[in-house]
Amino acid sequence: GNEVESPESVVKQSHMKVEPLDFSNNATVKVPKNKIVVESKYESKSYELPKWKEALGELFIKTFRLDMDKVRAGPVAGFYYYSLCKEQALQYEGEELSETAKFFYEDLKLPRTFSQWFQITLLHEWILFVRMRAMPFKYGRNYQQKLVDRTFADIEMRLFEEMNVNSGRIADQYLKDFNTQMRGAVFAYDEGFYTDDATLAAAVWRNLFSGRKNIDMVHLEAVVRYIRSQLYVLSRLSDRDFAMGNFKFVPPNESVTVLTPEQEAELKRKVAEKYEAMDKDPNTLPSNRSKLSYTN
Amino acid sequence: MSSSQAVRDAAKQLVSVLERFPAQRIRHIVSFKDSQIERFKRVAGLSVDGGSGNNKKASIEEIKDIINRTSGPLGLQKDLLKKMQAALPDDELSLQSIEEQIKALNSLTSNKYKNYYDVGDKLYKPAGNPQYYQRILDEIEGKKKETFMSAFRTVVFGK
Repeated sequence: GNEVESPESVVKQSHMKVEPLDFSNNATVKVPKNKIVVESKYESKSYELPKWKEALGELFIKTFRLDMDKVRAGPVAGFYYYSLCKEQALQYEGEELSETAKFFYEDLKLPRTFSQWFQITLLHEWILFVRMRAMPFKYGRNYQQKLVDRTFADIEMRLFEEMNVNSGRIADQYLKDFNTQMRGAVFAYDEGFYTDDATLAAAVWRNLFSGRKNIDMVHLEAVVRYIRSQLYVLSRLSDRDFAMGNFKFVPPNESVTVLTPEQEAELKRKVAEKYEAMDKDPNTLPSNRSKLSYTN
Repeated sequence: MSSSQAVRDAAKQLVSVLERFPAQRIRHIVSFKDSQIERFKRVAGLSVDGGSGNNKKASIEEIKDIINRTSGPLGLQKDLLKKMQAALPDDELSLQSIEEQIKALNSLTSNKYKNYYDVGDKLYKPAGNPQYYQRILDEIEGKKKETFMSAFRTVVFGK
């Protein structure tokens, strides 16, 4: 029965009562003075494109036969998937944490700092990278590129606005350091993912937990379970679904149970039905069309 | 007294589980296995430097390699890392918590989650770049070194 516990419940069962070694626990992220406009108006949930613009856009896509799978990388990976990763551990001084953020900061006792936020975001981005690599090469690479570009554009802006860095040179140094951290973490997680749970755990320890000496192994195990379960869900998702942005991370207080072959066949059938109908329907807008596989 | 003896025995067992952990394939500035063995040896009352002290000091070549690979040791800020390493955790461990630690480590060494949440070749041999992970592993393990041409090809074509 142990298989179906959620990472959060696993963590809560631990009796290890050591306090974390937090050297920077007070360095929380300040709420920006004027909660800035990170997103453009086109990315706001309430914004609707005027109908004539929409129609013009659709006509344009159709006439010039734009490769929507390529175009879609921007809004899906650059905006939607980045915001998923970013929100997992977003935190501001004096503000209530989200349920997922509580798992990372309170249950796993990670320090509430900007660089810790980056490490958590990075872990989620890497999980998505693994799935993106399984897309046809040119699309997967494009999705990864958009996600990384957006991450660094956002960090640069947050450094100035929230962390009150006001020197371009210092901001550049931070960005270089974050880039190094990203390459290091992706490399270490890749190795762990492909080899074994123990190696993945060591990679998590070195990156997410900053090599903390008094680590609780139960926490480490929970994070490995968390990662592998997300990757499992992603492995059952077709390219089409993933590319359209039909994915959310499973929250840490929920558990993932492996599908039976029957459930899996049923799931595949439903997905195929949905997209077959969509592809056949002459009324499907050009912008919703895709050539990516929905059967894999 | 008897309970602290039980804690020490459990910690010894924990150390032996840690010793079964795979050694890291490439050297990092801190090793999970070594630092944790040291930590729990202290709890178990074993001598820290003896036993598995098989020449842990990095050679000059290895240090150069680590520094060249990344400017910060694979995702860590150096000053923070130093502080972390200098601080000694004052673990107050109960028998119950040590047993939980052992159980957690055992599920990790037995590959429980990799096996249970099997993602198959779809992710291990990803369509966009089927050799991706194998190439990384070959390089790490020194089985097959990248040549100048193969590295150049990766830079130009991305795979």
